[in-house]
Amino acid sequence: MNRHSSVAVTVCLLVTIVACNPGGGESGFRPMEPGKVLFWDRQTTETADLLRKMIDEFNTGREGPAVEAQYAGDYSDIFRKVRASIQARAVPDMAVAYQSMTSEYVRAGACLPLDPFMADPAAGLSSEELGDFFPVVLETNRLPQFGGKMYSFPFCKSVLMMYFNKRVLAEAGIQQAPATWDEFLEQCRQIKAKTGKSAYAVSVDASTIDGMVYSRGGDVIDGNTTLFDSPPAMDVFRLLETLAKEELAYQIPPGSADDKVAFSQDRVAFVFRSSSHRTNMTLLMEGNLDRWGIARLPQADPAKPTTVLYGPNICIFDTTPEQSRVAWDFVRFFTSRENTVRWALATGYVPIRKSAADHPEMKKFWDAWEYNRTAFDCLPFARSEPTCAGWQEVRGLIEDAETAVLSQLRSADEAARELKKAADAVLAAG
Amino acid sequence: MIFERILGPLDSLFDRIGRRKTGDAPLAAFLLVPAVLVLGVFGIYPLFFSIYISLFDLRMGRGAFCGLENYTEALTTPNFWHSLVVTLYFALGTIPVAMALSFLVASALFRIVRGRSILRTVYFLPYVTSVVAAATIWRVLLNPHYGLVNAALGAVGFEETRWSQWLLEPKGVLYLATGGLIPESVGPSLALCCVILFEIWHSSGFMIVILLAGMTAIPRELEESARIDGANWFQVTRRVTVPLLSPTIFFLLIISAIKAFQAFNSFYALTGDGRGPVNATQNMTVYIYASFFLNGREGYGAAVATLLSVAIVALTLAQWRFVGRKVYYE
Amino acid sequence: MTRKALVYVVLSAGAVVTTFPFLWMLTTAFKTYAEAASPTVDLWPEVWQWQNLGETFRAAPFATYFANTFLVAAIVTSAVVVTAVTAGYAFARLEFPLRRVLFGLVLATMMVPFEVILIPNFVLIHRLDWYNTYAALTIPWCANAFSIFLMRQAFMGLPGDFFDAARVDGCGHLRFLAYVAAPLVKPMVVTVALFAFLGSYNSLIWPLIVTGTESRRVVQVGLTMFSGEAGVQFNLLMCASALVILPTVAVYFAAQRHFLESSLGAGIKG
Repeated sequence: MNRHSSVAVTVCLLVTIVACNPGGGESGFRPMEPGKVLFWDRQTTETADLLRKMIDEFNTGREGPAVEAQYAGDYSDIFRKVRASIQARAVPDMAVAYQSMTSEYVRAGACLPLDPFMADPAAGLSSEELGDFFPVVLETNRLPQFGGKMYSFPFCKSVLMMYFNKRVLAEAGIQQAPATWDEFLEQCRQIKAKTGKSAYAVSVDASTIDGMVYSRGGDVIDGNTTLFDSPPAMDVFRLLETLAKEELAYQIPPGSADDKVAFSQDRVAFVFRSSSHRTNMTLLMEGNLDRWGIARLPQADPAKPTTVLYGPNICIFDTTPEQSRVAWDFVRFFTSRENTVRWALATGYVPIRKSAADHPEMKKFWDAWEYNRTAFDCLPFARSEPTCAGWQEVRGLIEDAETAVLSQLRSADEAARELKKAADAVLAAG
Repeated sequence: MIFERILGPLDSLFDRIGRRKTGDAPLAAFLLVPAVLVLGVFGIYPLFFSIYISLFDLRMGRGAFCGLENYTEALTTPNFWHSLVVTLYFALGTIPVAMALSFLVASALFRIVRGRSILRTVYFLPYVTSVVAAATIWRVLLNPHYGLVNAALGAVGFEETRWSQWLLEPKGVLYLATGGLIPESVGPSLALCCVILFEIWHSSGFMIVILLAGMTAIPRELEESARIDGANWFQVTRRVTVPLLSPTIFFLLIISAIKAFQAFNSFYALTGDGRGPVNATQNMTVYIYASFFLNGREGYGAAVATLLSVAIVALTLAQWRFVGRKVYYE
Repeated sequence: MTRKALVYVVLSAGAVVTTFPFLWMLTTAFKTYAEAASPTVDLWPEVWQWQNLGETFRAAPFATYFANTFLVAAIVTSAVVVTAVTAGYAFARLEFPLRRVLFGLVLATMMVPFEVILIPNFVLIHRLDWYNTYAALTIPWCANAFSIFLMRQAFMGLPGDFFDAARVDGCGHLRFLAYVAAPLVKPMVVTVALFAFLGSYNSLIWPLIVTGTESRRVVQVGLTMFSGEAGVQFNLLMCASALVILPTVAVYFAAQRHFLESSLGAGIKG
């Protein structure tokens, strides 16, 4: 490097170091667009229209700043956008977020704990009202690594379900969807033997593995160590290994809907997906509701069922006290009994309040098809997944292990042990 | 005309102030200011910013100075090296094939007369078709269960299940080809090879356009006189066209190498998450995306990005030294 | 003329391969949801669903999006042509201190992954108070290393005696650039404009991040509206994608006329 260039590079470096200061500059946050209570969401088409209609109803007749929903892309886009705005120290008032996203926002000091709002005598929630929410949908918003405070409020909730194709089951001479994992394997074998079809199209997903472990009475994490080498988790991988070896199951391309399509064309009998896929599945089935059904996951002990609860929440950012207050009022408005039912009916998510059960509209919907109620009935025993730092990375490892077993690159025992080791290392570092 | 009225006086102005000892510096400054301003603010500044934050254990903009720890961590992480290897396989797999194919197609497109507008547009289509749309159809074609490729192979009697998984196959092609003689971790995976094929198909449109523009800009007389002297197509291409086109080819080589090292969209759209089966297609950019973004480790992601930039710079310098010398400028 | 015929056969075969996905996209645009989602390669819809077109337009305010996109792309394209021609010429033909360092720095801007530059640039946009403005959508993209490099190569490829001849006629650099050099490398200028247009037209993440309201959004944001949480509405997505691609094909079709004529030949004769 000649003299000129070294001078130039040094000047550039100095300018940069003065110009940017990654760690410092901590002063509070400001609203991104002052005067508007911004809500960054990802709803599109019909559900976006309903959300905006509900926001209009909320704004009508209110004094002060109005809520405005802005489409901000899918979850990864929203995460990018919020992260960039946090570093610019100008944030929206609300955003949809998964717990892993929320915990990053909390780490940056941008998110408000909701406990003070909830306890507020005027604008809060009475204990009676709190008791109306299913405990798990609230608990999942408490972040243990941040003092167990509520940092978000449920927005769209769904549970992991098993979809079963009645025609394929009938072809194999099966009357009833499996209630236990043993029955599940038995039915898969029977389907293969009688029809030659693969029974289960696997969409590789860490949440499904978590749900399978839960439903075998196990858990995936204890403190800071994972439990993938525990008997319930090992059994999950062994089941997948058996399914792959005997060609009872096959993996679909990640991110595709091939499993649901194969299901709708009677090529497989089982698909494990969130309950929110019901509307989508109905479209694929072209409205025919006699050909299929939805059941809870097979269980180790049907007397003590479990499944996974998922879906995004809303978090509230630290903009101005006035705007944050409006944001909270909106969150409360949105999760009222009336509105949670309305939202559930239009979107396919489950209502998050117990009192939804005797809402006339909800009943009408449940009466329309016997399986419309199954997901709601799972809420009392559904469990949320871990939210600790590093879990997002662990999810990738779980999916690698699942793929390795399904493509017979690893044996179940190898995959589970390697997964445990790698995941523990991530959690120890995080 | 107005243009002339502005340019004339400007020219004489620069003539007067320049030329004495500053050379063309004042004029160069005048011509460079707009570009340098934009690139300086939105290109160089973030570059140094990213180098700077790579020295911090940064999450969500907060974290302590940690020296070179991020770098030592990257260099001792097997996933980092794996992603580097994937990146290299990808670059070596795509660039030579895509360049050769594009050159052949561009030469042909350049010579024909009838239907050339349509054909040139058609060959550009893969490049303008959004990667998402294009990847969707490729995923359908390569679908292990109902894809056209497997159906077609089956129809001609090639029912080899070893190859049937395509994008879902984490095992190496050499392993599959030799029936397991070569370990599965040697050579690119079948999934990666599918991404390479896709990229060749997709990027050819880009290369063909640039080569066509380059071919249009070179004098035809030389080629014609060589042909009159009895040289055949291959000789004309080798002795006349390629040397005259060498600035363009050199440009394409540098740009394709940078693009290949930074490829992201094709990986992401084809495999659904970029990583592919058991990380088989995780290249450096996907790895940076995952560390920086999914796992929220900004400092570490920036460190890997810096290492990637260093690799690209080294590669570019090497190309400049060894290939750039052969470039023929009139 | 059998060789010519062979060229046509090979080119046409290649053309079929390259157009197939595009054709598939066009026909998928008019399939039902279930048809479009099923992974078969049936090209034609069972029944053409023309109403998909209307549904596509109802999903997002595409008219606004298109207007914004064209405005932004026009600004970016003209600015990139100017910055690339001037800077490319300076790097190729002028002698000045720090030339190599500056050019190296220009190239260096290509080497950082987008994910890493996103956040500092957003912070900058915010400090400049450009959030949700056309300035944020255009100014950061008004110059790029790729175009400057391409123009530099083009100018370096020009015979040196052209400039000497012009000097003899009393022509300075600026007039030489405007009247001789730039017209001579017109195919490359058109290429730069084409890729600048495409780059601006196809950008998604940046516009999504620096804008909030519908009035500043662009078409690529509209394309994301068809991906819901439970899956993608492939038929509508393809319908919208085809609509969005049409202008780019038209622009290319118009631009490629300029690759056909060799302007250098004309320069030598004139």
